[in-house]
Amino acid sequence: MNPIITAFTNGIKKSGLELSKVVVVSDIPFEPEVIKEIGVDFFHVTRGRAIAFGTGLKLGNPDLKIVAFIGDLMTLGGNHLVHSGRRNMEMLVICVNNFVYKEIAGTLAPSVSPGFSAFSTFERPFNAPHLANSCGAIYTARWTAMHTNELANSIANALDKRGFSVIEVLAPGPNFYKDINQVNYELLDFYYKNSVTKNNVDTRNVEITSEEKIVTGEFTDKEKSPFIDTYNAQLGKILGDKFIPLGGQSGRD
Amino acid sequence: MKANPRDVNSGTYYMDGDVAAGYGALAAGCRFIGGYPITPSTEAAETFARIAPKAGAVFIQMEDELGSIASIMGASWSGVKTMTITSGPGYSLMMEAIGLGAMIEAPFVILNIQRGGPSTGVPTKTGQADMMQARWGSHGDYEVIAIAPDSPQELFDYTIKAFNLAEKYRCPVMIMSDECVGHMSEKVVIPPAEEIEIEPRRFYNGPKEKYLPFKPDKDLVPKMVKAGDGYNLYITGLIHDERGYPIKNQIEKGKSQKLPTRRLVDKIRLNADKIIELAEEGMDDAEVVVVSYGISYRVAIRGIEIARGKGIKVGHLRLITVWPFPDKKINELASKVKAFVVPEINYGQVVFEVERCSHGQANVVLVPHGGAGVHDPDDIAEAIEYAAKEKKKIRKVIEWKTRLEKFVFEGGYKLNK
Repeated sequence: MNPIITAFTNGIKKSGLELSKVVVVSDIPFEPEVIKEIGVDFFHVTRGRAIAFGTGLKLGNPDLKIVAFIGDLMTLGGNHLVHSGRRNMEMLVICVNNFVYKEIAGTLAPSVSPGFSAFSTFERPFNAPHLANSCGAIYTARWTAMHTNELANSIANALDKRGFSVIEVLAPGPNFYKDINQVNYELLDFYYKNSVTKNNVDTRNVEITSEEKIVTGEFTDKEKSPFIDTYNAQLGKILGDKFIPLGGQSGRD
Repeated sequence: MKANPRDVNSGTYYMDGDVAAGYGALAAGCRFIGGYPITPSTEAAETFARIAPKAGAVFIQMEDELGSIASIMGASWSGVKTMTITSGPGYSLMMEAIGLGAMIEAPFVILNIQRGGPSTGVPTKTGQADMMQARWGSHGDYEVIAIAPDSPQELFDYTIKAFNLAEKYRCPVMIMSDECVGHMSEKVVIPPAEEIEIEPRRFYNGPKEKYLPFKPDKDLVPKMVKAGDGYNLYITGLIHDERGYPIKNQIEKGKSQKLPTRRLVDKIRLNADKIIELAEEGMDDAEVVVVSYGISYRVAIRGIEIARGKGIKVGHLRLITVWPFPDKKINELASKVKAFVVPEINYGQVVFEVERCSHGQANVVLVPHGGAGVHDPDDIAEAIEYAAKEKKKIRKVIEWKTRLEKFVFEGGYKLNK
């Protein structure tokens, strides 16, 4: 099975969460059909809207643990990333970065360097952990798909936290999870061998460039009041006894 | 099922339509609204945000309308009733997701307080030009339900009805109101909770291992469960089978022709008679029938009075449900009457449906209005008078030249030859 999904299931196991309370949301570029085998609920929504859809799931039922698997985190729906960080919405975002939109004829994602394609990439790439960190994420990390143990630990850590967490995983294309025989081993190995683990470094220094090694590790780990707590505290102060807090199961039907 | 007393702020109020819609949503049992502020609908969201926390409901101001609509679909599958509130530009942004909503059969309500004109248009003035967008806005085949209230009281009542329809048929339900009704202040009576009938979610309660998320009941609507209850759901916007699993590969190979879109369309079309709500008046000996909806209905009442004063026999058919369209009713009337007059605040949308359903049996006269205001009742009266006199069968929609059009456009633009 796909190493990311393996790491994901191991991470859930380590965190002690009930599988049935985990809801995975993904959007169009990322369609892991294998996920139906592992016992979580899965929603596959319109391009870029996984985080927003997850926000609704979480606020509809605060008992759920939302995990958004996203291929293209930073273009379509990038605004949802920014604002979920600002709100500190309780959610784990796993950005599976393969630098391309492989299913649509190898066009390139906003995480590649200028000049990667002569005719279509001119911009500086996004540095996903830094972007998430600056928007207020309480946990950021980056691993390659071969770091299965580290990734599983990282997922467990993020699931234990209450707030907006982002993990970037470098992995080759979408064929990856469909058939084990189609895995691009060379590329998988290339990412792994060209990476260096530096935990707790400043996210400003973890940009992926063609010259330097890929920095992996856990970068951000802080505590901040999650959205639902802030919401309950603020309205509790204003409305007092009249307020029915979210997530207490006291009277929500 | 009756409404929860905690959700119903019973009493007699003087409030505007938007506010009434906010109260209506809560009374219907709405537990989540994700919205983004937009004139002229904001008061509805503000009202809900103010009253919701006391009933255990949430309002969240999302980052945009794209996020708003996605969030309400998520909340819908988490097991609560949901709505979003918007106007033209926001409504346009929501279109892609409406298709997803139809596909994953998430029950939700969209309140569209229509503004005038395309694009930014006239944010603070009225229009009825989103009617076709409501029906055809997203790509692919699907059906929706759309309701057009005409007063603040109705914005309360029909918001509840919209929620009930959404739960019953599991499809996007649009409340297609407009700025004029939304910003009109009138008496609104909120009845006691025990007088409000609400439709509960169609929850599945059979054995867990036998649950199929898209296996329809007799009325073609499947039963629902909540995310997180251990059903191992796989819900996707891709073409899927009854289990919810994508079947695109089978279709490509020609193995399966059983597309779920057939059912998405049929569950509304075949239940149309149960869904459609109309109001008619003075229809018995009518020669001309005015077909109207929303605010245009109220303006047309005066137009009809004037025409009746001149001895013309006019009936009034009001479309409370605009989509699905009452094909049968219009066809039936077309064989009896001389003509239809359709006043609407656009340059022709619902009028073409009327023409389609009349199948050339009766003349169809459009009384257009460019938006940012309502019709002059005299224009409607004159159009009725003309329709009653016209002896020829004219096989196209006849556009009535209103005073406003004559005044502003000198009778309409002409191309220089």
